[in-house]
Amino acid sequence: MNQWDNFKKGFLKENPVFVLLLGLCPTLGVTTSALNGLAMGLATAFVLVMSNSVISLIKNLIPSKVRIPSFIVVIASFVTIVDLVMAGYAPALHAKLGLFIPLIVVNCIVLGRAEGFASKNNLLSSLIDGASMGLGFAFALTILGGIRELLGGGAFFGHKFITGDGILIFVLAPGAFIVLGYLIAIVNIINKSKAKAHCSTD
Amino acid sequence: MNNNLLKVSLSPHISGKGSVKSIMYGVIIALMPAFIAGLYFFGIGALRVTLTAVVACVLFEYVIQKYLLKVESTISDGSAIITGLLLAYNVPSNLPPNIIILGSLVAIGIAKMSFGGLGNNPFNPALVGRVFLLISFPVDMTSWPKPILTRASAIDAVTAATPLAIVKEGLAGGTPYSKLLTQIPSYWDLFIGNVGGCIGEVSALALIIGLFYMLYKKIITWHIPVSMTGSIFIFTGIMCLINPQSNADPFFHILTGGVLLGAIFMATDMVTSPMTPKGMLIFGSAIGILTVIIRVFGAYPEGVSFSILIMNAFVPLINKFCKPKRFGEIIK
Amino acid sequence: MANKESTFINMVATLFIVTFISSAAVGYVYEATKEPIAQARLEKKTIAIRAVVPDFDNKPIDETYTINSNVGPLSCYPAKQGGQLVGTAIEAITNKGFGGTVKLMVGLLPNGVIKDIAVLEHKETPGLGDKMDKSKSDFSIQFNGKDPSKMKLTVSKDGGDINAITAATISSRAFCDAVQTAYTSYMKEGKQ
Repeated sequence: MNQWDNFKKGFLKENPVFVLLLGLCPTLGVTTSALNGLAMGLATAFVLVMSNSVISLIKNLIPSKVRIPSFIVVIASFVTIVDLVMAGYAPALHAKLGLFIPLIVVNCIVLGRAEGFASKNNLLSSLIDGASMGLGFAFALTILGGIRELLGGGAFFGHKFITGDGILIFVLAPGAFIVLGYLIAIVNIINKSKAKAHCSTD
Repeated sequence: MNNNLLKVSLSPHISGKGSVKSIMYGVIIALMPAFIAGLYFFGIGALRVTLTAVVACVLFEYVIQKYLLKVESTISDGSAIITGLLLAYNVPSNLPPNIIILGSLVAIGIAKMSFGGLGNNPFNPALVGRVFLLISFPVDMTSWPKPILTRASAIDAVTAATPLAIVKEGLAGGTPYSKLLTQIPSYWDLFIGNVGGCIGEVSALALIIGLFYMLYKKIITWHIPVSMTGSIFIFTGIMCLINPQSNADPFFHILTGGVLLGAIFMATDMVTSPMTPKGMLIFGSAIGILTVIIRVFGAYPEGVSFSILIMNAFVPLINKFCKPKRFGEIIK
Repeated sequence: MANKESTFINMVATLFIVTFISSAAVGYVYEATKEPIAQARLEKKTIAIRAVVPDFDNKPIDETYTINSNVGPLSCYPAKQGGQLVGTAIEAITNKGFGGTVKLMVGLLPNGVIKDIAVLEHKETPGLGDKMDKSKSDFSIQFNGKDPSKMKLTVSKDGGDINAITAATISSRAFCDAVQTAYTSYMKEGKQ
């Protein structure tokens, strides 16, 4: 498999949020600002890269009947490490993302990639797959958070453009659904037109 | 726009004279008394808000259909005008124009066109716009100007809490209901609409005139308005009987807030309400019960908009549950 | 390369090894981050205390004591300059907020006058109740320099001297309630 294609797929073609619709809990929960989205995305990306690499290394040593528990233990360890490091060195960020960091353990993307990709591929492919999916997730969360922050608070990465409040619904839960809905629609349009172009050139 | 987009009921069908256009314009006529009442009580502000909302809604519908969806424009069927009117009726008369325009964009763009236009929207567009604004601009959306008659001068735009908010605050603070009665307007004022509130919801009289017009023209049936107000009346009546000091009486609940506006014009919206009479009764009563629950136990003083939107989501389920017996099927 | 067979011994051994290595790794990180995490928590509290009382040179957190109130014990952090008490930060709490619990750090001067108030934790509605935070509106600043014994710490709607946040009476009430509780408890038994 072409490693560049392997890396590219996570951003649009198989974006975990916009196309696979995985990991929606943190997607909707923490994306009240671009920075929160980016931090959550990078934390998940780190866990994904690490767990994918480790799992592709140990895949042959694990009997198939206990592979899921083993994967979960590996993933949970990395999540706990991220949680502890963040609490120690970025307490403000940790206070905001708080609940959602431990939830990375049950994030479908992480286990999904472990089971669906890393347990069948070699180290390099799995590492790139983890980075692709993780950065795709971070990309989606940053866009979502950025749009919500811009509309809901008139700010971008914490720089305020207006005084007072924006359209508040966008920093609340319903705004997350509305923005995500429209983003998915846009990504669908892009992917469809790409597929069409692909067909005609073939 | 042709007749076959109009969902009336399940088969068998007989063809009638009604078309989307004639029904929509009938509703617009029925909405006029409430508009006149709004003008009378809130003055030029009501006119400004209503015009802005209607023009914005029609314009957005036109622009979205022409340039984004590239389909034939349906603005002449009147449904966008109704959305604009209802949105305006659900906001205070001193709302800044940019907020109204945003509300219109949400109502037409998000609630209607995203789902495929008239006939495909699961939620009432005007209410989606209204709730969007209520959550986004809570301060602007909850400062109601006093009606002109009770203002000191015509330009004096003093804001006043709605009767519902006064009662909710008072009861939460432990004041018995009998004492609060002195702070709220009389039932006669509530009936004709001489109270603070949204433009179209204040005058019960004007709304009821609209109801009778629509019933006479057979645009709507009695099921939803009656079941909705009835369930509110019964529910609040029971609570009032149990503890009259900490619950408002049923007449107060029906005359205040958006109950009548919701029951007559918004819950009866053909696209977003059930098709069968039995379904309509379930739909209406559930809205009534939810409204009272939100009003009495919830955080907001008013719950009609939320209740109607919640029940809109249940309409497909109700339609499935209340299928009429097939023609010719043996009744068990 | 084939997977290892799923025999009982294999499974137990694998799970044991995987969990053993994982717990060792987590344990190591826990030990390594223990110090910074404790430091960060302390820092957060010290910043909140520093924000609400006059300058001090002691370590208020080391001298913490608790006072009783009608909502349970409240923590007090005495701030001293040269051994002299210059103010006390009280962690006030109320559950009457619109979204539940509101936690404040109320700074009182030794004579009971409010020095400053910082919001530690709240779940109030964005755009309404969250204006109790100093970064969002001037609501909490009106308390500064006031002597609660000479005024009514309730919103003007309830006959008090506090201007409530527009359209957020419940949050404003909760805020007043927390401050009042902290003040009353402190005056009753808080002075050390």
